[in-house]
Amino acid sequence: MLAIQLAITGLQTGALYALTAVGFSLIFGSTRIFHFAHGASFVIAAYFFYATFGAGWGVIPAILASAFGAVAFGLLLDRLVYVPIQRHEGSFFTVFVASFGVGIAVQNVIGMIFGRGYVTVNTSLSRSVEMFPDVYVSPLAWIAILCAAIFLGGLQFFLRRTHTGMALRALADNPELVRTFGLNPRAIQAAAFAIGSVIVVPAAIITSATTGLSPAIGHHVMLISLAATIVGGIGSISGTMLAGVLLGLAESLALLIVDSQWTEAVTFAILFAFIIIRPSGLLGRATAH
Amino acid sequence: MEAYIYNLVNLIAIYSILAVTLNFIMGYAGIYSLAHAVFFGLGAYTSSWVAQNVSPSIFVSYPAAMVAAGAVSLFLALPALRVRGEYFVAASLGLQVLSVTIYSEWKGFTGGIGGVLAIPPVDVLGWEVFRPGQFAILSVAVLVLVVLLTTALVRSSFGRNLRAIRDSESAAASFGKNVPMIKTISVVISAGLAALAGALYASYLSFINVESFTLDTSVLIMAIVIIGGTGTVAGPIVGAAILLILPSVISYFEFLPQTEIGSLQQIIYGLGMTLLMIFRPGGLVGRRPGR
Amino acid sequence: MLNKLKFAGAVAVLTGLALPAMAKDHVIGALFPLSGPNAVYGDVFMAGSDLAVEHINADGMLSGPMSIAYEDSQGLPQPAVVGMTKLVNVTGVPYTLSAFTGVSKAISTLGQRNHVVAVNGGGVGPDLAALGEYFWNVIPLVNLEVRAVVPYLTGEMGLKRMVLVYIDDPFGQAIQSELGSAFEGTDAELVEVLSVPVTAQQFSGVAAKVRSAKPDVVYIASYGAQQLQIVKQLRDNGVDAQIVSYSGYITPDALALPQSEGIVVTGQAVDYASDDPVTKRFVTDFKAKFDKDPTAYNVNYYNATLLYGLLAHALEQEGKDVTGENLLAKRLEMKTFDLVGGTVSFQDNGTLLSPIEVKQIKDGKTVTLSTVQIGG
Repeated sequence: MLAIQLAITGLQTGALYALTAVGFSLIFGSTRIFHFAHGASFVIAAYFFYATFGAGWGVIPAILASAFGAVAFGLLLDRLVYVPIQRHEGSFFTVFVASFGVGIAVQNVIGMIFGRGYVTVNTSLSRSVEMFPDVYVSPLAWIAILCAAIFLGGLQFFLRRTHTGMALRALADNPELVRTFGLNPRAIQAAAFAIGSVIVVPAAIITSATTGLSPAIGHHVMLISLAATIVGGIGSISGTMLAGVLLGLAESLALLIVDSQWTEAVTFAILFAFIIIRPSGLLGRATAH
Repeated sequence: MEAYIYNLVNLIAIYSILAVTLNFIMGYAGIYSLAHAVFFGLGAYTSSWVAQNVSPSIFVSYPAAMVAAGAVSLFLALPALRVRGEYFVAASLGLQVLSVTIYSEWKGFTGGIGGVLAIPPVDVLGWEVFRPGQFAILSVAVLVLVVLLTTALVRSSFGRNLRAIRDSESAAASFGKNVPMIKTISVVISAGLAALAGALYASYLSFINVESFTLDTSVLIMAIVIIGGTGTVAGPIVGAAILLILPSVISYFEFLPQTEIGSLQQIIYGLGMTLLMIFRPGGLVGRRPGR
Repeated sequence: MLNKLKFAGAVAVLTGLALPAMAKDHVIGALFPLSGPNAVYGDVFMAGSDLAVEHINADGMLSGPMSIAYEDSQGLPQPAVVGMTKLVNVTGVPYTLSAFTGVSKAISTLGQRNHVVAVNGGGVGPDLAALGEYFWNVIPLVNLEVRAVVPYLTGEMGLKRMVLVYIDDPFGQAIQSELGSAFEGTDAELVEVLSVPVTAQQFSGVAAKVRSAKPDVVYIASYGAQQLQIVKQLRDNGVDAQIVSYSGYITPDALALPQSEGIVVTGQAVDYASDDPVTKRFVTDFKAKFDKDPTAYNVNYYNATLLYGLLAHALEQEGKDVTGENLLAKRLEMKTFDLVGGTVSFQDNGTLLSPIEVKQIKDGKTVTLSTVQIGG
């Protein structure tokens, strides 16, 4: 029974990881911008929801506020930081450091406004019910899995069936091809940031009700996104989703064998092993060199 | 007030050693490691263990720290040989997170989160050095040694090989350079010298625990190098001085509540990193971007 | 009001820094969590220590005005050592207030080496009793709390299967070993022991493991924000067993948490209704200043600060310097002190004894179930 319970818990965690990581994967895969501040988008989305919901805005307006916060942040960052850097240099490391700096600043600004402790959105949805004897599932777990299915399915449809989507996929390989579609690469890049940022919203809101938020949570979010992107294979959205779910499951099922302080190490041991043994990831085609 | 300045000098010297050694692989070999705090920690733990169980002499505990860190750095050299760019950053992140878990759990050696208590003062030829004033002489001396050594290495043929690899690995290989060997040696030297900073830190504070060796520390070291200027001699030291003096300067603004000083410092250095990358990617001391 | 307190602390730090050498001023240090997830404790501790400073200064007990230089420990060892280094080397204090087990252990070496007294009124790890002669405790340590609560749970409440969830740091490890020995020779047992890392926030997996052990009582040994996360997530994930915790759970945040209802906690018993003038003045002024009842932590840091006033006053009467060495010698010489809660005496290892109460949380307040006298 414990194994089933942990598998369900892991699936919930994995769904959230997939939703979080896929935004980073999309941005990185299409624009090659190492958007380390993706964790900050998550934190901003979560705290916008927490603040507006707490102020009595109701669920839907609060979700919209959260989405607005994440998208505005992503677009501003692209416009004010990444585009200027790309103009003169654009080496991977320069972008990474700039993004890292923004992440640190956001974490501390949020900390000054909302405090550095944990905050939780109170809802009865986080309260588990007994599904089978000794297997408890909270309504939020179903919501998480459902959100993952809808958003990730929608993203796949968008990438494969729409002009903008196809342009996004083409951007990484061949910006010229994008021009021949009659589209502006810079606008496509902005679209990648808008979509990649908005897709963290469900995970951010669900996390605020289950485990709670702290300004420092962005770090963990980013590490998981990076791990899922690389384990899944850079450039492969489906690979990232799969890897996100697998990492969530691994982290939870690891409790069968080890104490809880080792679960994070399990994730990063997997990451380290992949980089050494199979840098192209689960579904990736690009090589690492 | 003197004690306060000595205290600051010690911390700046220790972080300068870390920055100089990270700059050695980052600025000259293009190995962007986010795992430097791992070797800082290993140096601190090893020297403490040796000081408590074998001898607190600087000629025993400090070399032991260097050997241990140099050996473990092979785990970092491994991905450095296989992958580059974002993959290597991710691998070093993985190593950093794994190491923090091990430092938290291997309680016999590290004391876990509780840390190592009552580390004896370092013994230099029969003198117990622990007062901030005396210790400043020691820490600055070690810093000077590290700077001289790395500068000599960079100016030697080994350094030319490093830069050749940084600029183009395949070109270096086609000139018959043994690329894996040169990379591995540079990682081992960097980690071994970083362990000296750990050993100094442990004997100065007489207490260490895993909190000093987390990803945040690795990021801070990297920020020091970048803000100062990668690939320069003075850059890392300037960076360390700026980032460590910053909190004391901020604390002079009396209207700021004490609890927010830490946050403000972080915001300033975070935004500082970003702005530098936009307007001056070479760092404060660095050249204008040439490559 | 809390902001005002923090600001007062900031000013104290700055003035302490700017004027390190003013002869007649009495500056003591304090290493409290002023930021981070444990900052809620810092506010509680400061409420006690600041009131004591007011009283000492109002009485003109010392030759000059007394103040406290607060340093932010965040409740973590590393920042605390940095803060302690500053207090010892820069501010030059003879006496510091400390809190938290990990913090106290970390700074004790510096205190011992530089002959600076450190007094703990918040950390409860049993090894705090053995940190050298310059480390004193004005709080009964948690081994007493464990010894008091286990017989109550297994006897009066008839709970036989316990699961322990503890934070993986010196405090949690101490609880683990205390509980292990407390169950020896009883018909109850510790069926599962689960540790969680200091930074953990996600406990649904831990909850599953707790449930599968089928306990009738769960002991939670953590502190600050994390213990609230554990309680909430255990309840969210279907753990219905009785939850037990220790004195560190009695904070305003925890009492306000709906999931706290019915939790059993322990803590030192303080006789607030006592007739002695020190207790009366403390209780009256505390209520007037903060508009609420004092807690044991308020008392402990009031006492720790007042203790400095009493010792320094005695030293000044004799014309001696107020140094760490002399404060220690004076404490060993005077032995008993009139503090809040009555006349107390230190054990030889520098730790106070106190009776322990077993309490239950009901409607956001604690209700005393039983008071246990503990012998040395």
